[in-house]
Amino acid sequence: MPKKINIYQVAYKNLLRKKTRSALTILGIGLSAWVLVSLLGFNKGYESALNKDIDNMGFQVLVTAKGCPYEAATLMLKGGTGLRYMKEAVIADILKHPEVEKVTPQLMAAIFDPNRGETGGINAYLGVDPTTFPAMKAYLKFKQGVWFTDPAAMEAVVGYEAAELEQREVGDKLLIPEKNVELKVVGILSRSGTADDGTIFVPLRTVQKIFGKEGLITAAGIKVNKNANMNELENKLYDLPDVQVVSMAQVKTTIMSLVSTAKVMVFSIALIAILIAMLGVVNTILMSVFERFQEIGIIKSMGAMPWDVFRMIWTETVILCLLGGAIGVAFSFALSKITDLLIRRLLPYTPTGSLVIINPRLGLLTLGVVVAIGLVSGVYPAWRAARVRPLESIRSEGE
Amino acid sequence: MAGNEIALEALHLKKIYHRGSEDILAVDDVSLTIRKGEFVSFIGPSGSGKTTLINILGCLDNASAGSLKVGGETVFAENCKLSESDLTKIRRRVFGYIFQKFYLVPTLTVYENVLLPFAFFRKPEAKADPMEILTFLGLEKRIDHRPSELSGGEMQRVAIARALVNKPEILLADEPTGNLDTKRSGEIGEVLKTLNQKESLTVLLVTHNPTLAKIAHRTVSLRDGRIAV
Repeated sequence: MPKKINIYQVAYKNLLRKKTRSALTILGIGLSAWVLVSLLGFNKGYESALNKDIDNMGFQVLVTAKGCPYEAATLMLKGGTGLRYMKEAVIADILKHPEVEKVTPQLMAAIFDPNRGETGGINAYLGVDPTTFPAMKAYLKFKQGVWFTDPAAMEAVVGYEAAELEQREVGDKLLIPEKNVELKVVGILSRSGTADDGTIFVPLRTVQKIFGKEGLITAAGIKVNKNANMNELENKLYDLPDVQVVSMAQVKTTIMSLVSTAKVMVFSIALIAILIAMLGVVNTILMSVFERFQEIGIIKSMGAMPWDVFRMIWTETVILCLLGGAIGVAFSFALSKITDLLIRRLLPYTPTGSLVIINPRLGLLTLGVVVAIGLVSGVYPAWRAARVRPLESIRSEGE
Repeated sequence: MAGNEIALEALHLKKIYHRGSEDILAVDDVSLTIRKGEFVSFIGPSGSGKTTLINILGCLDNASAGSLKVGGETVFAENCKLSESDLTKIRRRVFGYIFQKFYLVPTLTVYENVLLPFAFFRKPEAKADPMEILTFLGLEKRIDHRPSELSGGEMQRVAIARALVNKPEILLADEPTGNLDTKRSGEIGEVLKTLNQKESLTVLLVTHNPTLAKIAHRTVSLRDGRIAV
């Protein structure tokens, strides 16, 4: 039988008096910690996923027909609707610049497929040049088959997810709705974690012919020479008629500015959640102090100094915050996939990689922040308890 | 038996409470000497000032006037009022308290409740093993029980054990049987008497119960804040 008891044991057992209240407070803190750690993880993850997407594009500059820059940015990363076209001859003009290492033309075409999903959906086809595009996208690996080689072949290479959705394998036929044209699947890509997974690649000339866009393209991807002056190249490209130049840096800035609004919103929610949790902690501990007013007085008559009582109540707050914080951090690790999905629904554009990156360091940081908040929240209730005079409790006993 | 050494010496104690413009004289010119090992009971009707007096004697409150010595040491006198911290130091060293309500921590076992004062302060001469006290009080088989599993008499005995664990010189008992029936009151009275006789513990008992008051060596009757002759 231990012959000692310390303040920390007493503080812990005090929290067991009102189990439901303590549990709810811990849950509140846990939820706030979850939001906080997810937000911090998102801050880290989003930019990293965006960088990965941009790096995997294989080109640093995209030239599109003049139009909305946001649309151009979306086109660059995801393919877009409301397409604008420019003449294919622009490729030759672009190649004249010494900063340009490679150029690849692209023609995006989209068509409504009534058999896609339950209510139908848009099928997007990306016309690419078999001589330049595969070289730029060297990171793409094949699950089955190879790239088409004839620029006018009636063939297609299907991204991993698109192949799963269409349930196609190499050798299968792929029907383009409305056009009644069949393409032969010659390759299925392995999963790349990029927008390419959902794309159907078709030779450029074939897409131009099927959709009646001969001599037109929607974009030109440019790989720039090492050590080239990017700004200088951009300025030169702007001299081309009716084009818009979107660089990697611009895309990042454009998307980050779109995302920053959502970030501010999420950060505000996190801040409110933390404030509510803090008030919850203050309320729980203060109620507990008032309920134990006489008991605290008796403890002081036993010889407890004000600092002892302060420490005991403060410890109760820290225990609540530590448990709540640990649960929140554990939740954030366990539910990071769900958090990722929730954020994807909230944002206008999301990169393909993991949006929320939570690591142990971030977990510890959040735990530290939550405990620090607990220490601050506990000061007032602990101070109130430390001020209780034994006599007051004895008097109130007689009342 | 009481010796000749003085445990407490109060001279011309006064306590005035201010309620609005009204001054209430709760203790009026009380002078009292209590010897070590003495058992003194304080009786009187409600509002007679017995609890106020015992609070002052127990260093739970300061007097408005007069002086108090504990074990020959001046605790307060004219123009000398101790801080709460200084009063705590005296309380730690000299006193153990039991009250009408038991104030046991419901989530701690009997044993842990008795150990509770050690979480804050442990006198060098304190009992090394609280089991000795618990056995003396007949609680040795109840040590793992929570207060909610005890009877009122048992809870008060736990409160007594808690007051004794730091080996006080003086035990102050303010209406310790107020919540108990006659049989349990008698048991608590016997415990206090035994502690006084066998441990030479100085006991100050406030009670409404004249039968219980009779177990003391001396009874002090109070009326309107004064010792009634």
